[in-house]
Amino acid sequence: MSEMMLEIDDLHVTVDGKEILKGITLSIPAGEVHAVMGPNGSGKSTLSYTLAGREGYEITRGRILYRGEDLTQLAPEERAAKGMFLALQYPVEIPGVVTMTFLKTALNAQRRARGEPELDALKVLKLVRVKAKALNIGEDMLKRALNAGFSGGEKKRLEILQMAVFEPKMAILDETDSGLDIDALKLVAEGVNALRAPDRAMLVITHYQRLLSHIVPDRVHVLTKGRIVKSGGADLALELEAGGYERILEDA
Amino acid sequence: MTALAIRQALEPDLFQEDFAAHAAALPGAGLAWLDKRRAEAMAAFASTGVPTRRVEAWKYTDLSAALAETLAPAVRVREPESTAGAFAEIPGTRLVFAGGFLHTVQDPEAGIDTVDLSTINSNTPGWVRDHLGVLAAGPEQPLGAASLALMRSGAAIRVRAANAALHLDFVNPFRRGDFVSHSRVLIVIEEGAALRLMESHTGEGTDQTLANIGMEFVLMPGAKLEHVRLQAEAPAVRHITSIGARLGRGAEYRALYAALGAHLSRLDIRIRLEGEGAQANLRNVAAPRSGIADITTVMDHASPHTTSRQLFKSVVGGTGRSVNQGRVLVREGAVKSDSHQLFRSLLLSPRAECDAKPELEIFADDVICGHGTAIGALDDNALFYLRSRGIPEPEAKDLLIRAFMEDAIGDFVDPAVHGALWRRLDGALTAMGRTET
Repeated sequence: MSEMMLEIDDLHVTVDGKEILKGITLSIPAGEVHAVMGPNGSGKSTLSYTLAGREGYEITRGRILYRGEDLTQLAPEERAAKGMFLALQYPVEIPGVVTMTFLKTALNAQRRARGEPELDALKVLKLVRVKAKALNIGEDMLKRALNAGFSGGEKKRLEILQMAVFEPKMAILDETDSGLDIDALKLVAEGVNALRAPDRAMLVITHYQRLLSHIVPDRVHVLTKGRIVKSGGADLALELEAGGYERILEDA
Repeated sequence: MTALAIRQALEPDLFQEDFAAHAAALPGAGLAWLDKRRAEAMAAFASTGVPTRRVEAWKYTDLSAALAETLAPAVRVREPESTAGAFAEIPGTRLVFAGGFLHTVQDPEAGIDTVDLSTINSNTPGWVRDHLGVLAAGPEQPLGAASLALMRSGAAIRVRAANAALHLDFVNPFRRGDFVSHSRVLIVIEEGAALRLMESHTGEGTDQTLANIGMEFVLMPGAKLEHVRLQAEAPAVRHITSIGARLGRGAEYRALYAALGAHLSRLDIRIRLEGEGAQANLRNVAAPRSGIADITTVMDHASPHTTSRQLFKSVVGGTGRSVNQGRVLVREGAVKSDSHQLFRSLLLSPRAECDAKPELEIFADDVICGHGTAIGALDDNALFYLRSRGIPEPEAKDLLIRAFMEDAIGDFVDPAVHGALWRRLDGALTAMGRTET
């Protein structure tokens, strides 16, 4: 049996004194891609931020196990070094930091934390170039300031490039499809699919089904009002698309 | 009037005393034109005296309170500890000022004429007489006025070449007591000529010295001045530089100022865009941690089609204070003037402070004038983003602080200047990011 990458057990999360997640239980084994779908305000982003360890997301009950280890006390950077990755819905623009410099700094920070030797600039450049090419990311984009003035598609492609460079074991993609046109969506989905591997798990968080036609999940979970109300196979996404969240809510 | 104000009005301050006692012995005393300008400057200074907070333009920067009880007039230093400026590796004519006195002129280039103002006499060239003490000497720049009235040393420079490079390296000799130096720099750039000016203020020590410098930049039509200035003095130093600039038709002034040291520093600038199409583009970066870094500008659009840009950024830590004041004046008839100023500050500690005061006075139609101010802490979103990619919190903060500054520097200077600036900035910012966490 493959290793369990992520086990979320009865997770309750409060933000600004308000309970947003009200008991989520979910397990993702290595090699699988799970999708969490839900309407606006269901707690999707709260789930992703909590998994990544953002401050202000208080776990009041339950726990998160990553490869059997309780994550809840770890800082975001410690989770990253252990192989967790969160692709943000809205990647942050940071003028003044060159994208390539950022990639090198982040990769080496992770390596340092794991006790691995740091890579010199040339090695990082070579590594990044190869992976960037597949995502149609040119040298010029890597020389620009991080996400500054990037189009929606460019930002999302850069998130996937980071995932390719950091090679996480557990990747969470938060609304990676938002703001993308069909071509950009396909490119991003291809990038994600190329990273599917037996020793890696993914959690794809999305509002719409369309991303899941390109990244076909092993399991789909429906999140509403802070709870998972239904789980099923890839077909569940199609069912949702056809009937809408209302129907599922009624059934559940 | 309070008792204190009456006392001040009756009792001349140290500058006026200095003038009364020593005017006859100052360089060039006896030259009628200079005596007249000095006397006028002293009167201009005396209208405010050493500014207190009651002087509107000095409301956030109380110079009077920051000065030591006694400040002896500076004397010439024969052997300063160091004569190296911050941009030493970049070629160019090099003027070294030690304790405010012109010490040496190195590597003189053709196309740059230099006059030592401490030896000014009746043989001094006409262009010096025409321009010296005309700018940065009025009541609106009282310390500039004092620097002319009490000038002990300085340099006048005329640029005739199309690609001249000049260093002004102000080095502070130390352990010589608390003194006040008054120096002047006049730079005249002839029609079509261009100067790259690299100015630095460095030094160690704990003397509560006041460096008072007045600078005049006269840009003839089509002249270009590219100015980089690094003020990185010891934490006890008081530093005032008053700049007066006049830009002829189509002239361009581009400047990057960095304020990293001193207990109190003020850069007091008045730029007159006098000729049609003149342009000024100013950037300022400041990183005060225990002192005050003040930049105060008046941008005077006096002709049509003039353009000004001002981007001031400060990172403030500890008990530091950043003061940003910018007045943009668009005179009657200065149509199609285009002006923008943006002040941004990052406050890194609960006691850090920033005062920002942009002002617009517009007397012409058909102009574009914009301004903005943003003061805040490090962006939580950005910090989380970097941390979620594995960059530890202190390193992520450092990165964001540097990025904030780099945003004002990166696209503005060449790699050599960039490297020299960052060598100084790095130290200042590292100390800042780490002490606040």
